[in-house]
Amino acid sequence: MTGATFAQRVAAIAAAFTLTAGAAAAQDLKIGVVNPFSGGMALYGDEMTRGYDIAADQANAKGGVLGRKVVVLRASATNPQEAIAAVEQLIGRDKVDVLSGTYVTAIANAASEAALNNNKLYWETNALARDLTDRGLPNFTRTGPDSTAFARRSVEGTLQLVIPKLGKTAKDMKVWIEHEDSAFGTSIAKEQERLLKEAGVQVTLGSHSARAVDLSDSILRAKNAAPDLWLSTGYVTDHNLLLRTAREQSFRPAAMMLVGTGDTFETLESVGKDFLNGILLVSYPRADVSESFGPGAAAFLAAYRAKYNRDPIAPQAMSAFVGFKILLETIAAAGTTDYEKVIATVAKADKPLGTYETGYGLKLDKTMQNTRALPVIAQWQDGHVKAVFPKEAIAPGGTMLDLGRK
Amino acid sequence: MINPDGASAFAPASSAGAADRTGPRTRSAPRVKTFASELPRALLVLGLLSGLVYLYSGDTFTLNTLAAAFLFAGLSSAWNIIGGFGGQFSLGHSVFFAVGAYTTANLYLKAGISPWIALAPAALLAALVACLLSWPVFRLRGPFFAIATMAFTEVALALGNYMESITGGTRGMSIPFRLGFANMIFRDRLSYALLMLGFAALCLLVVLAVHRSRLGYYLQAVRDNEQAARAAGISVLRVKLMGMALSAALTGIGGGLFFMQVRVADPAALLSLFEFGVKFALIALIGGLGTIYGPLLGALVVIPLESWLRAELGGIVPGANLIVLSLCLILAALFMKHGIVGSLQRLFTIATRRIPR
Amino acid sequence: MADLANIVAVGILLGGIYALVSVGLNLIFGVIRIVNFAQGEFVMLGMYGTYAAYTFLRVDPYLALVVVLPGLFLFGAIVQRLILAPLRTEPTMQIFATFGLLMLLENVVLALTRGTAYSVTSVVAQTSIGIGGVQVGLVRLVALAAATGVAVALGLFLKHSMLGRAIRAVAQDRSAARLVGVNVDRIYMLTFGIGAALAGLAGCLLTPIYTLSPQIGTSFILPAFAVVVLGGLGSVLGAYIGGFIVGLTEAFAGYYLDPALKHAVLFAVFIAVLIVRPSGLFGQVGAEEVGLRDQS
Repeated sequence: MTGATFAQRVAAIAAAFTLTAGAAAAQDLKIGVVNPFSGGMALYGDEMTRGYDIAADQANAKGGVLGRKVVVLRASATNPQEAIAAVEQLIGRDKVDVLSGTYVTAIANAASEAALNNNKLYWETNALARDLTDRGLPNFTRTGPDSTAFARRSVEGTLQLVIPKLGKTAKDMKVWIEHEDSAFGTSIAKEQERLLKEAGVQVTLGSHSARAVDLSDSILRAKNAAPDLWLSTGYVTDHNLLLRTAREQSFRPAAMMLVGTGDTFETLESVGKDFLNGILLVSYPRADVSESFGPGAAAFLAAYRAKYNRDPIAPQAMSAFVGFKILLETIAAAGTTDYEKVIATVAKADKPLGTYETGYGLKLDKTMQNTRALPVIAQWQDGHVKAVFPKEAIAPGGTMLDLGRK
Repeated sequence: MINPDGASAFAPASSAGAADRTGPRTRSAPRVKTFASELPRALLVLGLLSGLVYLYSGDTFTLNTLAAAFLFAGLSSAWNIIGGFGGQFSLGHSVFFAVGAYTTANLYLKAGISPWIALAPAALLAALVACLLSWPVFRLRGPFFAIATMAFTEVALALGNYMESITGGTRGMSIPFRLGFANMIFRDRLSYALLMLGFAALCLLVVLAVHRSRLGYYLQAVRDNEQAARAAGISVLRVKLMGMALSAALTGIGGGLFFMQVRVADPAALLSLFEFGVKFALIALIGGLGTIYGPLLGALVVIPLESWLRAELGGIVPGANLIVLSLCLILAALFMKHGIVGSLQRLFTIATRRIPR
Repeated sequence: MADLANIVAVGILLGGIYALVSVGLNLIFGVIRIVNFAQGEFVMLGMYGTYAAYTFLRVDPYLALVVVLPGLFLFGAIVQRLILAPLRTEPTMQIFATFGLLMLLENVVLALTRGTAYSVTSVVAQTSIGIGGVQVGLVRLVALAAATGVAVALGLFLKHSMLGRAIRAVAQDRSAARLVGVNVDRIYMLTFGIGAALAGLAGCLLTPIYTLSPQIGTSFILPAFAVVVLGGLGSVLGAYIGGFIVGLTEAFAGYYLDPALKHAVLFAVFIAVLIVRPSGLFGQVGAEEVGLRDQS
């Protein structure tokens, strides 16, 4: 173990020498990625970074950006203190030009501040919490949807899809909002509650821990309230447990809508296609959106399959891919990686919805949040996930099923 | 009460075991070491550490690692007061850590009190909480004490998530970036490294003072044989409580410093059993349980190793850095049963024995 | 009333799960006095073993027991011999060796699977029975039955078989056991192996309930410690009943109070019981006062 620290010092000294000698390496456009690559979120950190890698490959195939080859460098962080270390590692040791990420809000929060201390851009493609852009950091922007966009989309779905389908009005509609109790679920659920109450819908809130061994209590509470719609935000494992418990407890509200997860093969395996049929999903746009809604989505899917020999596990990858693509476009347009100039350039951008693979456009608000990045609502239909809202996203021949509940 | 026959049957063996692992504090040494006689060595160590900071003052990545290592050196030394000297194997120190962190952050954010000053109430509150919590569980011993303190962490986590006004709830709490010495917010990593070095120095000096004080000897007596200590007229509970209070106060200060450095945390992060509660003890064990410099050495080895592995392997295969780290920990446990300090002492003894021949 | 009946059913079924997970931990903790942090990871390994058998051998998850049980017994025995036995004189180091093992196992599985979550389906998992307005999932019923069966079998084994008696002798007084000719080292290895195999059994039976992730073991470990200490160290009956106490406490607190607070209530109850009756409800009085050091 003492040998390791010694090796570290040797490495540090060696790095100091290469720095002075290796001016040629500065030809590359180095982009550092801060994400969790271990722990419970490792899969999603990796999946997002695959999206970056594909975007970098495509840019390099066209001769790079500003004539420089795009190189993606990874640094792992599972909590804020590791995020700071990751930024120092990427900037101090790897000499990256720009930083990007992040699957987890708390990591994005600490990493972007550390980046600002080093005068570097922090380009956020995924992390959800609204607070991130509300901080007003001058080196920070977010290209993907934030938590309020997810909440808004799920409420739109409730008002425009579910209520008409059930033949109800907002006044006699009862919604149970279930959420996992970390920042992710809480921030979305609070916003859903606010918006639904505004629309006059009756709302009850329930929370659970994503680590809980049993969620029967959460399901029984919801069952007791007899809601028309059960609207839940959670991670993969807790959503699966909730759905399995709902099946066991014969909890079948007229409609169910999952936010964030529940769209993967693994949920299908876990819960079975019969129970899933008709359940609505609010998620990042998936590769199954129509070509007119998300031009190039099919090509992204093909590129992912070619590089990794399988389908994307989570829709975060395509959203990350688009965010990274916008970053590279913006750097090319700004002609520099200087954060003030890059942010000034992206602030002026004005691209309509439907410009990118995910159906996103690009128009930032004052807080540097992209207002044209919206989640999509999909539905489980006979073991497959199909986009159903907004209308333009529906693939040719697609339609919305009944909600499947009795 | 324990079976008295059993206790006396075990007593000689255990005290022999204890003497075995004590190096510099062996009571058969010709001169009793005092705070004053130990001080120069401690200052030398601190001087060397300052030199290390100076050496790396241009390398922010290493400085950041050093800051973390110093922080954990301090925290682990603080844990060592009750866990090592006192033999009370607490796994719940992250509770006191979080109490310190939230006290400092709340006083700074809501009352505008400089963190430098807020550290004092943070330490006091952490000590108070520690006394209240550990009073009832001090009658438990060994693994039962460890598990009970572990349970505190879980209760505190649930309560922390619930008390949104103090902790920000599950969404966490963040401190805005307002540069300034009075705010304890710096742009450069050097300041943080020095800050944490200061904390490590404080903890080291307190440990030194305690170790050579009446309290220190009482704590060790309680650890080695509670029955005998009680028979000798030591108020066991009082000694344990004092050790715990002191340990928790320093831990609370560490919590405050940690929060001001990271400036964003939620209860799940601060009360993480594995990031903090277990790690304090783990570092002390790797370095040398119940020794003065063990926790310091442990932190200076474990934290840089962890950070280096994360940087080198973290992005390649998921979890690869932690696989190597855990293998290192298991090997360290197997081959350095008395920690780094114990192994160094054995080497030293072997070396000095050979010289006369 | 229907509410109450439902919650009691939920609590008892959850208690069955906890009892099942804790029985191996209780054996290890009670006999070898090791705080085995890695016990939850053994359950996790049992789950992934079941998943592997289900995927590659195409057998029903319950049939995977045939592979998983001996596999984990062997693994446990090897771990004990290689890592824990050399540390017998250093109980605190033992704790950290098991902690290192926890990290190692979790991350090896993470590295192998990338962290992808897995689930298995079984006919049993799809079935749920309604008894007078109370809904009961068949998988949970199976787990409850298995917990009961294991508790009875283990109780009989410890009481009547030669090996069981030797294990109890070592648990009570290892020097005396050694004097009467018990091979203490061998008993330790076997006990740890049996404890790991029981964790594997739990993992196997719980696979149809949960979604597998490398971190799932850590969700079980703290409640399992609560079960063992509440029930009473070294008492098989204690671990069984402790499971139900924890299960019912959680279900009631979750339903009537708030799901967010159920862990706080559970551990507050746990600490309270520990203070009032440190030896647990069914444990040998005085066991808790034998410190780590006195063991060596």
